[in-house]
Parts: sequence; C-alpha cells; structure tokens
Amino acid sequence: MQPSSRLLALLALGTALVSAPALAEMPGTLNLNGATGLIDMPSGDAQRDATFSFSTALIGPVTRSTLSFQFSERLSGSFRFQTWRDFDPVAGDESDRSIDLRYQVLKEGRIAPALTIGLQDLTGRGLYSSEYVAATKTFGDKVKVTAGLGWGRLGSDGGIGSPFGSRPPVDPLGVPNADQWFRGEAAPFAGLEYRVNDDWTLKAEYSSDAYVLEDAERGLIQRDSPFNFGVEYQRSPYMRFGAYSLYGSELALAFHIILDPKSRATGGIVGKAPVPVKARPARAADPEAYDGGWVSQPDAGPILRQNLAKRLARDGIAVENLAYTADTVQVRIRNGRIDAGSQAIGRTARALSHVMPASVEVFEIVPVVNGIGASKVTIRRSDLEALEYTADNATLLRERVTVTDAGPAPAWSLGDEELYPKFRWSLRPVVRLSEPMEGDVGLRLSANYDMAPGWVLSGSIYKEIASNRETSVSTSTLPRVRTDGARYSELGDPALEKLTLAWFARPADSFYSRLSVGYLERMHAGVSGELLWKPVDSQLALGAEVNYSRQRDTDGGLGFGEYDYDIVTGHVSAYYDFGNGYLGQLDVGRYLAGDVGATVSVDRVFANGWRVGAFATVTDVSAEDFGEGGFDKGVRLTIPFNWALGTDTRRGLDLNFRPNGGDGGARLSVDDRLYQSIREYHTDGLDPDWGRVWR
Amino acid sequence: MKPVKLALAGLAAVALLAGCGNDTTPNPMAAAVGAVAKTGMAKLKGQSAEAAPAAQPASPEALRAELAQAGQPILLVSSKALGQTGFLTVSDAKGGVLTWATPDGATFSQRDGVLIQTRGLGFDLMSAQAPSVGQLRQVGTSYQRVYFFLGPDDQGTRRTYDCVTSSLGAERIEVLGRAHATTRLTETCTRSSGGGKVTNEFWIEGAMIRQSRQWVSGGLGHIDFARVID
Repeated sequence: MQPSSRLLALLALGTALVSAPALAEMPGTLNLNGATGLIDMPSGDAQRDATFSFSTALIGPVTRSTLSFQFSERLSGSFRFQTWRDFDPVAGDESDRSIDLRYQVLKEGRIAPALTIGLQDLTGRGLYSSEYVAATKTFGDKVKVTAGLGWGRLGSDGGIGSPFGSRPPVDPLGVPNADQWFRGEAAPFAGLEYRVNDDWTLKAEYSSDAYVLEDAERGLIQRDSPFNFGVEYQRSPYMRFGAYSLYGSELALAFHIILDPKSRATGGIVGKAPVPVKARPARAADPEAYDGGWVSQPDAGPILRQNLAKRLARDGIAVENLAYTADTVQVRIRNGRIDAGSQAIGRTARALSHVMPASVEVFEIVPVVNGIGASKVTIRRSDLEALEYTADNATLLRERVTVTDAGPAPAWSLGDEELYPKFRWSLRPVVRLSEPMEGDVGLRLSANYDMAPGWVLSGSIYKEIASNRETSVSTSTLPRVRTDGARYSELGDPALEKLTLAWFARPADSFYSRLSVGYLERMHAGVSGELLWKPVDSQLALGAEVNYSRQRDTDGGLGFGEYDYDIVTGHVSAYYDFGNGYLGQLDVGRYLAGDVGATVSVDRVFANGWRVGAFATVTDVSAEDFGEGGFDKGVRLTIPFNWALGTDTRRGLDLNFRPNGGDGGARLSVDDRLYQSIREYHTDGLDPDWGRVWR
Repeated sequence: MKPVKLALAGLAAVALLAGCGNDTTPNPMAAAVGAVAKTGMAKLKGQSAEAAPAAQPASPEALRAELAQAGQPILLVSSKALGQTGFLTVSDAKGGVLTWATPDGATFSQRDGVLIQTRGLGFDLMSAQAPSVGQLRQVGTSYQRVYFFLGPDDQGTRRTYDCVTSSLGAERIEVLGRAHATTRLTETCTRSSGGGKVTNEFWIEGAMIRQSRQWVSGGLGHIDFARVID
C-alpha cells in the first residue's frame, strides 16, 4: 500500500521530531480485540488519555477490525467489525458489529492493582458478548501480571459457578443486553506481560473463552488448549504488531495504528510567520499622525479596504466589509484556510496595524460564517503593540480583549463584491465508509455560489470509482427512509447528492437562523429551517429545527416517483459545553420514519480539530420494528488534515459508524447546521487555542 | 484482506489526493510534502541560497565582503539538529527587540541578542521571560526564566526554570573570518518543578552578544546565532 505507507512515514517522521516522553510508565497495550489487554483477554490497564487506535486482527478464519478511543482517563469504548469466513456452508461468511465500554475503577497504586470493569459487545446479537473484571499489577518496569473474572464468552471455559444467577438468552434484537450482564457462569483468566525493551513485549495468557461458537458450533477454530503466547513489536509510537499462537492450534496476527489526537504529528502548525505588528509613532513625537481628518477623504475607504484585503489574502482571509471612524475600525472577515479562529483574528489585527491610520485605536474583528457575523472580537491597538514581545502575551492579550455579539454590520460599511470569489468549485476524491472496512471511493464535484451575504446556492455530484460494499436488501417494516442506502449507492451512480439554496441570518442578538431548500441530501429533499440561541460566552445553546421532506428516487436524479413518502420532522435541541473539550447534545423530536424520541450525544473535541463522539437515539419504534440492534446508535469522528500535515487547512475527514443501521431514529442530513460553525468564534471555541492569536 | 486495504487506502487517499477547483483550501499532498520538507529549519536554506550561494566555495572573508554590501545587519543562524544554516536580515525592530526573518517565512525575535520568540518553525517559542544581557553578566545571581509554548494540541503551556550564569573566562572566537574577543558565559537553568535542565551559551563582546547557542523548544533543541554584521 504505497499511499498509506507514505502517510505513515510522514507520521513517523513527525514523531521523530517530537521529544516524546519515554514510555516509562508502561501504559496498557492492545489485544486482538483492539481493546486494552493481553492477547485474547482484557486487562485492568487503560490507554493514555485520548488515545485513538485502529486495530486489525486475523485469527484463522476470523477477522476483527476495531476502532477504540480512550474517551477520558478512565472510560474507553470500542467499535468492532468482525467477520467469520465460511461461517455457514450455504450462506458463507458472517459478520457482526459490536460496541464495548470499559471503565477503570481503580488506577494502579503502589500496592493496589489497576482494576477495570468491561462490557464487550454490550448491545449486539450477542455473538461476542462478555463482561469482565480485570486487575493488573506492574512489577518493576518489565513485568505485568493480570488476573480477571469473565462472564459470557469470557466465562465459557473453566467456570466456577454463577455468582449472580443464570444468564438469560440474548434478546436477538440486541438492545443493551443489561439483563445478561454478569450473569451465568463466571470463569477466571490470567496472563503475564514481559517487556523485553521499549520495542519488544512477550505475552502469555490463560484464556477463559471456550470459543464455543467457532469450535463446537462451526468448526472454524480448534481449541486444543487454553494457553496463548505471543510477541509484540512496537515499530513507532504509531504502529504496533503482534504475532501469537492461539489455543494450541491457530496462528494470529495483529496490527495496530495508534494515534494521539492531542499531539499534532508535526508539532506546531508550520505556516509562515506573521508580519510583525506595526508600531505607530509616539503621539508626542508626531501628533499629526494621530489626526482623524483622513476620515473625510472620499477615497480613504476604498484604499484602506484594498490594502487590507491584499494583506489578508496571503492568509486565505477575505474582507467582507470595512467600516471606520477616526478611532474605531470594524472589519468583517471570512476565514477560508486557518484552522484556528484565534489565529485568523491575530493575523487580521496585525494587518490592521499596518493599514489603518494612527488615530484608529480600536480594532473590531467580526468573523463571518455563511454570511452571518459569529462574534465580535475587540482588540485595543495599543495592547497589540505593547504585548507583541511580552512574556505570556497570549494570556495578557486575552485579559484585555472582549468577545461580544457580532451585532449588525454598521450601515456605513464598505463592502466590495469583487474582493472574494463568489463562485467556488472543487473536484475531489472522496471515501464514503459505511463500515470501518466497507464503503466506496469516488469523485465529488461540488460548487458554491454566494449570491448575496447569507445566501448560498450549492450542489454536489458524486461518481463512484470503486466499491467493496455488500449488496443488502432492506427488510425494514418502517418507511425505508435510511435502509435503502445501498440501493441509493448502487442505482444512483452518478448521483446528484445535493442541490440547495440556503439563507443564513441573525434575526436578533444571540440568535442565528438557517433556511435550506432543495435536494438536501441524497435520500431526501425539501425544506429545513433552524433557529439557534447561543450567546457568545455561554456554555449552553438552544436550538429548534423544523423540516418538511420527501423521499427521493434511488437513481440520484430529481424525481420523487419511487417512494411517495413525505413527512414533517423537527427537533428542539440543547447543547452544553462541559469544559475541557467535552460537549453534550440532547435532541428531542420527530424523526424521519415518523417516530418520536430523543438523541443523546457526547463528543470530545480537541483544540486542533480532532473530534470523537458517540450518539444514541431512542424513539417509540419498537425494537422489533427497528430490526437488529433495537435502536440507533453509533460513533463518529473527525480527523483534521492539519493534524497530520501541520499546515493550515480547515479540511478534515468525517466518519460515522453505526453497528446497525435502521429506519428508526433517523434525521435529515442537512449541511451547515448552525451550532458547530458558530461555536468556533465564540469564547468556548476561541479560548482553548487562544495562544494561536500570536502565531 | 481486501476490505482492510480499501479502508487504509481510502484514508490515505483522502489525505493525499488533492483534487482541483478554485476552493481556497490548499493541496494536501503538496502540503504534506511541504511539511516534511519545511518542518523546522529547512526554511533557512532558502535564505542561505539567496544571501550566500551555497554552491560558491567562497572564503569566509569574501562571503563577509559580499554580505556587507547589503549594508544591513546580518545574523548567522544554524541548527545542527536540522543541518541548516542561513544568513538572516532584520524584518522588524522596535523596543529593543530585533526580529530576524528568512524570506520564506520563519522569524527569530531577540531582545539584545537573547531569543524571546520564533515563528514559522512548527515547534515555536511563543514568548519568553528571558534575562537581559546585564542579567546574564551578573555571574552567580539566580533569576527566573519562563518559556511559553503551544502544546501539540494548541493549548498554551509554560515551563519555568531557575537559572544562574557562570563565566568560562575570555575566549577568542572567529565569526565568518573575523576575530572577536569575548567573554564566554554559560547559563544553566533547572526546572522549578517536573525536572529538566536547559543550558544556553553566550559569547559576549563588550555589552553585546556576539555569538550564542540558545535553546528554542523541545522539538528544535538548540540553535546557534552569530552576529556577522552589526
């Protein structure tokens, strides 16, 4: 894989430059399930906070691909896609998706071991369900010993009885199998890790998993012995390999890609240095420079605006308009490239120090998103001048800067339609993943036309190039608002994905609105209206959305003949910023299939743009009607390119994974929902990486 | 293994392929190559190529004469770790701070020769509470030095050190073919909390820092500076 090895080489190079702390503390390693553990068994350890990993393991005919994230120091979760080759003589392969949660109850102390409680495949059909308690103790800096007790699969060999009663059969619909948890036969497991050096680790374990499914039922893996042995090699902080002997009969291989969202591979952003702040002459030395008479010169405005636009164009910042008096300037900017709002503001302030006459003391910078002012950052020019070379200038400047509601654009402001391109288009390769390993690759042609401030016409066409998507036929008894997705991909090639007219506005202070009309997404078309209340310095935001949509034909064209389905949906939403990058969201309302319910989502966002979260939706659709999985849930992540590349870019990779797609709990997928785009320039978006204001 | 490969290839493809259009975002592949090429001090090379053609095996004296023709102060900057050397000119001077710039966008700001900021290098020193030359010359008296960085997650971090200088006596040094009589000082800084030690070397001529080896950041280590032309 040429491209991936190049990317990895880049990542590896990045780390070579970072003075990475030595792995003295021996954080936990990953097992064949992509979870922290031994070989096939879990351990009491956790990964370092915020570690994100992608693991692939081959165990004879079984393949496990797992995404794991250490959501906080103690809590971690996994999303796993597992396939069994030749599972059934007739049906062939079998696949299953599962979700795990682990919580480290006890951190390792001088005497106490690390203790973790875990739920594996906690909501699926139960092919992989188990629960465990595992304790791990480190001896010296080489040896770790783990002992644990497992239930479910992990209690299937060498059981010691059922301390919490018998295990009921799995509900085939796979709503959280809470009545199964920690029930039935419990069995002990144990293992040993020996770290030979920083690169090599040896592992041995005694497994309590009888592999009933694979051995007794299907004859895929022969389990001759409960003992597993293996060796692991840490190639770089980003890569780990493992080779194992499993159950006396099988060879297993594992490969882990381990990423740290907190650390950009190239350290800081490598963009060009900013221009120095331009100092004004001392007022006493040159009082005339401070004369505000220039305001009345008729050509002052266009010249200033042009000079500013020229300077800011280097940073990908467009000047929407400029308004000034003798002592105050307000500039509205559109930031097209810099990934940190604070840096875009800093660059604008520096440019203003060069362009504006000395009498202008107050810089008001209004970042504009989709034609609407997101906030107003007010910087005193003398603070900028005084603090440029001062120690801890970021903190000191922040204390003197105010972030307030954007307010309306001043009536006398000077816009210029020629200053930024109104028409933008791009042709880009795209990956659409429906599973961690399944999806299609294609080309997307998209275009935007800014008709007037706040009015955007946009569209996109997608053409598939290659796919490994499996054909699936929906068996849903609900309106098939989502489960025909594979049909849309198959029949709609090429497809008009979107063609919409959107209008964004600020109806009042702290209120933002959006109205989108047209082909909103590839399966539905209609009207979507949204109103958001979000004061600039508030951790809480409230929103409401109402949509009317009709289901589109699967051929990717403009028609509506195939489904004859239309519906009014809508939600009220509450957003809360818990601090330290944890965001929560609650949506209550009516979903696409006509079901009523609520969605809870939690995301962890990092200042550099990484975002990892999970969501779950419960509606009045019964588990039977929803189908496998019982209700809608999944994980989502955003990986910003600047994290890997170290350069200014606002683009990123967005991925959503659901263990089971259903028609219940589905929402319209509308572009440019308000909260995320506005939040970047509010205090909770600006402050985490405020230091970049001086970069 | 086809699906796995597709997923990986896909991730890589998204990152590496650029597509086209007039959208303002840059070509990520070009950016990736650029990031590798430019990370850190590679930028200085552009400068050295311009100010002092590397291909030309000139004697130090000839090079100095050539540089002097520009009629402006020149700072020689080199990073052993990155194997780069360049001659820099002043892009900004105010309040006792000189900012030296490479033509392709890296800067070093020094207050009387003591490094207080860098930009455009990736692992930048964002700001610093640093000693004055006068402070450095007071051998044996301790003071505090604070470095401010942006962590890899872009959050601000600081490192506080207790520092003291010691004199290594008079030392005659040569900077690009010209001899200077200097006093050599070593600044030793120990981390107030969390351990760690940083040393800086200064060769002081009269009241000015003629040459120095100063620590920039964990990612860049030390960088050597020499004032070639005043």
